[in-house]
Amino acid sequence: MTTQIVQSVLKEAGKHGAKKVKEVSLVIGKLTFLGLEQVRFAYEILTKGTIMEDSNLLIKESEGVVKCNSCGYEGDFKYEDNPLYHLPMPTLHCPKCGGIVEIIGGKECIIESVKLVVK
Amino acid sequence: MSATQRLKDVVEAEEGEIYDIELSTDLLKANQRLAEENKQFLHKDGVKAIDVMGATGSGKTSLIEKLVELLKNHYGIAVFKGDLTTTIDAELIARHGVEVVAINTGKECHLDANLVRKALKKLDISQIQLLFIENVGNLICPAEFPLGSDKRIVVISVTEGPFMVVKHPFIFMDADVVVINKIDLSQAMDVDVEQLEEDVKTVNPRAKVVATNCRSGEGVENVAKALGLL
Repeated sequence: MTTQIVQSVLKEAGKHGAKKVKEVSLVIGKLTFLGLEQVRFAYEILTKGTIMEDSNLLIKESEGVVKCNSCGYEGDFKYEDNPLYHLPMPTLHCPKCGGIVEIIGGKECIIESVKLVVK
Repeated sequence: MSATQRLKDVVEAEEGEIYDIELSTDLLKANQRLAEENKQFLHKDGVKAIDVMGATGSGKTSLIEKLVELLKNHYGIAVFKGDLTTTIDAELIARHGVEVVAINTGKECHLDANLVRKALKKLDISQIQLLFIENVGNLICPAEFPLGSDKRIVVISVTEGPFMVVKHPFIFMDADVVVINKIDLSQAMDVDVEQLEEDVKTVNPRAKVVATNCRSGEGVENVAKALGLL
């Protein structure tokens, strides 16, 4: 994924005749399997020797959002808070009515914006 | 993939030398779009596709072999078999007289919609009504990459221990059917099949859970029924 991110930014920078990329802003959904630390590490390695080297990588995390088909609830997951799980485990039960929800947000990996030096 | 597909605006910064460019390009959406195209392509010819996910050694290939035997007189069947390398499993399935396309990903830990699209070009889909897509053995990444299938199965087995569901909740959220395999070994493994089933229902109340022994064929008919194929 990070390779795709770097390639997309380099392509965009090339189109604008940029000589340097200053900053890249990403939005990564909490329901993706992307680890922020790994993305940062890969970004550093992959940008070495390119016009993106030493650029600022800003990452915003977006929350998981579910929608209930029964009562129309839209918002955060219902979590199963069993101490065994270490982290609360998200479930597809509606926190309001107990119905079944579907995931409508939190699976994104978006390049929101880039800052380029063009002269 | 074009990074400019959703280019919104170009804003010139005050110094006159830094461009601030808004992109809003969702890289995972690209795969989702391709998956949707695959689905439409298959539906055009009335083909139903089933994505089979699960850890290495859980019994995905055995399940597909048994389903093929059970269903090959009802449907024209083809199978895509994803693996990093080798065609060992693809050959196993091909012995059952159905068309098999091996998809070797090289180093990738999952199939994606683009690989499936390429494999679809190798098939005469006018001859088939049912396509099984066996994903690479992995309980993490395949969940991130829809392929264009109608239903997704996750196969786990009791030999993987009692905590497979609670350790990997996300993949089970994407499942329509969860198969708990190798139930003949549950006593020897001291794994409670009912507890595993309860764990699945906690994460995903929508999923149908079926217990199987894919060596003997026990429960395989119930998998076909849960998929709406019988």
